[in-house]
Amino acid sequence: MMSAGNGSSMNPKPVPAWLNSAAWASKPRSPVRGSYSFGDRSNSASLVESIGKPAGDFDDPLINIAKPPKETITSQEESDATGPAAQAAQAQISDNSEHSSDTEENKVAKSPSSFEYRVSLFNTELSRRRIHLAELQRLSSQGIPDAGGIRATTWKVLLGFLPKNRDEWATELKKKRATYSVFREEMIINPSEVTRKKEEMEALKAAELDALEGPLQRHEISHDDHPLSLGSKSVWHQFFQDTELAEQINRDVKRTHPDMQFFCGDNDFACENQEALKRILFIFAKLNPGIRYVQGMNEVLAPLYYVFKTDVDESNANHAEEDSFFCFVELLSDFRDHFCQQLDNSAVGIRSTISQMTQLLRRHDEELWRHLEITSKVNPQFYAFRWITLLLTQEFKFADSLRLWDSLLSNPDGPLEILLRVCCAMLLCLRSRLLAGDFTTNLKLLQHYPAVDFNHLLKVADSVI
Amino acid sequence: MVLVLALGDLHIPHRAADLPAKFKSMLVPGKIQHILSPGNLCIKEVHDYLKSLCSDVQITRGEYDEDTRYPETKQLVIGAFKLGICHGHQVVPWGDLDSLAMLQRQLDVDILITGHTHQFKAYKHEGGVIINPGSATGAYSSITYDVNPSFVLMDIDGLRVVVYVYELVDGEVKVDKIDFKKPQ
Repeated sequence: MMSAGNGSSMNPKPVPAWLNSAAWASKPRSPVRGSYSFGDRSNSASLVESIGKPAGDFDDPLINIAKPPKETITSQEESDATGPAAQAAQAQISDNSEHSSDTEENKVAKSPSSFEYRVSLFNTELSRRRIHLAELQRLSSQGIPDAGGIRATTWKVLLGFLPKNRDEWATELKKKRATYSVFREEMIINPSEVTRKKEEMEALKAAELDALEGPLQRHEISHDDHPLSLGSKSVWHQFFQDTELAEQINRDVKRTHPDMQFFCGDNDFACENQEALKRILFIFAKLNPGIRYVQGMNEVLAPLYYVFKTDVDESNANHAEEDSFFCFVELLSDFRDHFCQQLDNSAVGIRSTISQMTQLLRRHDEELWRHLEITSKVNPQFYAFRWITLLLTQEFKFADSLRLWDSLLSNPDGPLEILLRVCCAMLLCLRSRLLAGDFTTNLKLLQHYPAVDFNHLLKVADSVI
Repeated sequence: MVLVLALGDLHIPHRAADLPAKFKSMLVPGKIQHILSPGNLCIKEVHDYLKSLCSDVQITRGEYDEDTRYPETKQLVIGAFKLGICHGHQVVPWGDLDSLAMLQRQLDVDILITGHTHQFKAYKHEGGVIINPGSATGAYSSITYDVNPSFVLMDIDGLRVVVYVYELVDGEVKVDKIDFKKPQ
């Protein structure tokens, strides 16, 4: 893509290699910097800025190419096959992109061919009848392009929500969404509604309710069916016990990503999103009485729900709540031990994971480890606890953490492995500053992790054994 | 779903020492949104106890109340319903439904909560509903000694009210319920 500075169109000529360098920056967009990775055209910057608009609203010419895989199988593969057609398509695109409107503010200096190429790669991969998981994982670890709901579908496949066999997708989706509705019916109870339904079943005479005059009839009620009952079988008692849980969840959801309109806007869309998040967390807590709800689960849920809700495919976006519930359960199955307080000191708890990370650091860079642990006595719990339990959602900008999660979810060994590697990489990237600092400066630095070049970070993470 | 507790005529400490233990064990803070009391508590300690159950307590003056600042009548709106409170000793003959209906029309409320007779009553007429929660401690009244402790909990949900009547009969708590709808 020609950078905004060059006015002339150079469509017929191929793009010179030096223009592909990541050193070219686009028009500066202050909130989200450092989110440009080679080949990943982060529309996420504009996505995040736009006020609650689903991605489909963008005036982005490339969205037209990256339609949901089912529809464009033939056309996509055709265009990939025919060389000159592809060239012409690319030329077309670069032409369009050059004249593209102001909504498309990311005039990044990468070649459009590489972005489209990656989009097409994903589309072909996802449109196969039987998805090759290893291949998809390999592709995703380099970053999923932000177009046409590719990220949403890829994450669903990577997390095992969608089966590998494409033919089974429709039935699986229906089944799981129905299961969620059942959960919702059962768990979220309104006692007044319950009593009303019971009466309707007992066929209360409507005439009685509308009697004009006279003393009102008293009816026997089955024991414990009144609001003050303390019986464990009473619907009311359950309800009051749940209100405590609901209040805790409510408090946390209201504080999720206060800077994003998607979550904390003044509009109905944001309220709807918050209600959905609350329901998901509530149902999860009711289904898992072992760990119930722990503060922080809302942060792990937020990116999942965001990605699924902003899916270009309308039918998927409408069921974002159900899909993110199941994916959340999947994701948390790897990490639930971190949230359980009793397991803190055990071999699977958070302390042991933190020590795994420090051991990794020690193997890779003894000097830094020594300086942190012994010289400046920074207990890794002070910073690594949040990094690990919240899967680094709090350390980077939202768009960056989406990119990071691409790598996390695509690791065949499980997300924990690569999470530890990225944590190590985060320490290594700040090596010189950490070595020069003492307890206070180091702690401050690590608890407010500064913005670094994201690609560099991921490269370092790859190199950590 | 708003829970409103109505109880009155406790006459603590003159005629009764305290609420029955079974009632007290059921009344825990956090469940009820409003408390309406026709009066005759009679002392400040009872008022404080009610405040501990719920922060919104509305009381009207009964003839034995030691706090003279309570109003004679009160009106408030909860959900779609207008509720009124009055002790009832001012309305003569005591407990007469027609006179109370007149008072209800005067206050222009859908539900009138009164007391003084220490007998539970729930009566519907074309102007609305009159509820007498009885005496929550079972204290004797000016008319009779034979009083069962009782109080009332209303669940106001849209245009419907479900009234739960709690009565202590022979040492056991009996709960009944009454439904009525507000005409559109």
